Amino acid sequence: MAKQSSALAELINRLPDPDERGLLSNIDKETVDSAVSQINEGGRKSLRALIGMLVEPGRGDDVKPRYALHCLAVQMCNSDEEKSRRVFTRTLAMQLGGDKPKAVQKYLIRQLQVAGGKEVVPALGKMLEDEELYEPAAQAIVAIGDGAAEQLRNALPKVKGKMKLTIIQNLGVVRDAKSVDALKKALGNDDREIRLAAGWALANIGDAGSVDLLLKAADAEGIYERATATKACLLLAERLLEAGKKEPTVKIYTHLRDTRSGPDEAYISDAAEKGLASANKR
Amino acid sequence: MQKTEKVTRRQFIKASIGAATAFTIVPRHVLGGPNHTPPSETFGGALIGCGGRGNGTFNAMGLEAKKLAICDVKFVGREDNKTIYKDFRRVLERKDIDVVAIATPPHWHALISIAAMEAGKDVLCEKPMTRFIAEGRAVAEAEKRYNRIFQVGTFGRFDRSRNPNDILIHKIMASGLLKKNCKGVHIKSGGLKVKEWSGMVNAQPQPIPKSLDWDFYCGPSPLRPYHPHRHGGTHRGYWDYEGGGLTDMGQHHYDPVQWVYAKDDTSPVEIEAYSPPAHQEACGMWGWVELKYADGMTFVFDSREWGEPYNRKQAREVLLSDLSEEDQKNIKEMPDPEPLVSFAEAVKTRKRAGGNADAANRSATLMHLANIAIRTGRKLRYDPVKEQFIGDEEANRLVNPPMRAPWHL
Repeated sequence: MAKQSSALAELINRLPDPDERGLLSNIDKETVDSAVSQINEGGRKSLRALIGMLVEPGRGDDVKPRYALHCLAVQMCNSDEEKSRRVFTRTLAMQLGGDKPKAVQKYLIRQLQVAGGKEVVPALGKMLEDEELYEPAAQAIVAIGDGAAEQLRNALPKVKGKMKLTIIQNLGVVRDAKSVDALKKALGNDDREIRLAAGWALANIGDAGSVDLLLKAADAEGIYERATATKACLLLAERLLEAGKKEPTVKIYTHLRDTRSGPDEAYISDAAEKGLASANKR
Repeated sequence: MQKTEKVTRRQFIKASIGAATAFTIVPRHVLGGPNHTPPSETFGGALIGCGGRGNGTFNAMGLEAKKLAICDVKFVGREDNKTIYKDFRRVLERKDIDVVAIATPPHWHALISIAAMEAGKDVLCEKPMTRFIAEGRAVAEAEKRYNRIFQVGTFGRFDRSRNPNDILIHKIMASGLLKKNCKGVHIKSGGLKVKEWSGMVNAQPQPIPKSLDWDFYCGPSPLRPYHPHRHGGTHRGYWDYEGGGLTDMGQHHYDPVQWVYAKDDTSPVEIEAYSPPAHQEACGMWGWVELKYADGMTFVFDSREWGEPYNRKQAREVLLSDLSEEDQKNIKEMPDPEPLVSFAEAVKTRKRAGGNADAANRSATLMHLANIAIRTGRKLRYDPVKEQFIGDEEANRLVNPPMRAPWHL
């Protein structure tokens, strides 16, 4: 073990030092590629030892191990060996939820966002309930895509505040039709940001059953909420038209055209008129 | 000669001052007519992002715009929500603001541009237009949906579009006569400030200044520990906010070139970079990037700051003699392209600006494609219609990285 640690340390030391300004300006491609490949050849043990070198920001110098781990993540994507990639991502995912500092776990999640596949989505899903890790976990899950909706859906009833907002927004990003009821409920939330996120999510999903709710939200008096909810309505109209649902599309455009009559909102009325013309051509 | 015809210099100056004073009693914008701005051409303006480029960007609008509001996340404790703001959303609620100049770091460009157009404002946005590819398409969709004016803050294409040789090349390329056998190679060598705008890899967390809302600054990007190098100009060196000197300088150079070669509506299909493995957070060194269009036209970024200089191809202009004699004759008979419309003219006439969102998205995409090739370390194939990489799931994760709530496209 000691021998292996020493070999790893030697490989890590080959990586470039930051210059006097903290930049990696003196960097040799062949040296880095070779060192990273050799670390990879060390397999799981080598990878675990590398992860063990990571520290919280402000608690020591881990510039080279961090760089090595990221280079490995990128190299995994370049490799045709799917098995190696999975070994890499599973080894990282096993560190989540353990006793490693949250800042270190955050960095591991960022690497999973680079190289991870559906095999690590359940592990990332558990982090959606962690107050310090939910943001990178949500981003990694959504970037991976496969299996993301289920994890987000499961997490939604268990979280509050900004965590809830993050989950709702990302359910919209992945366009999860199974979340429509929960999102409709969120339209009545006391938190303005949650209401707006739920409205946008329903629009992006293209839920025809949300037309009346979104139009009502868009008639809010507050300028920002009105403009943002109006955007959701226009997005919903576009999504519905893409799906060939002309009737609810026309309803949205007609409402916006007829209710945005003042000079300050004439551009919305014009946008709705244009949308209506486009819908009627179908 | 009559006495009254004799006017001394002193009398003349006095009379002139009197006339000028009398003239300025009536506000200039009320007068209208040639060389004067009628009321319909006076604009309420706002500047969002008040760093080094702020005033320059605002003035680049070229309009009679009164700066009614300034906004920056560094105005904590100074904001009165009347003229000084910390939150751009409050600025956009104002109905007396018609035009918005955006000079924040680029990770905010798309979101604020879109929000401004949703609020009915016209936008001049500092370059680079975006931080990643999908943002550019979203801005273009908002420009179209709300029929607003958008102009990116780089203007070299206006000069190039008046140059006779560039007009000729533009016509050759726009004609489509060189469909698959374009021999053109444009190389940008040096001047991309690669080292100057690289990020620190050993920055340790520091206390957040009281005047700065760091969480708001990070906005859609990951919330990192504060370090002054991530803010105030040197933000350029981090993937979270920009994309190094390549992104920052690249659009200046390639936006005009893109117009010359009639590529405003498409993007390269093959991208290859020569660079060392990139750092996770800090933009760093790279050698060159070659971007090839479907017709063969090739753009090259040659940094001259790392590794061997680019030597795969020689720079070569597209020439009239690349065409058959008959086609040459056809090109000569082609009408010149319409003059590009400045931001000021676009705002007044509602014609589309020369550096509109579609064109700016394509020129910003060049830098993003180059950076993604650097970051992934592999040759990439790109679909310019879908605006996605072909057969490369991991590269596509950099096309539209998820944002931190509540921010989204």
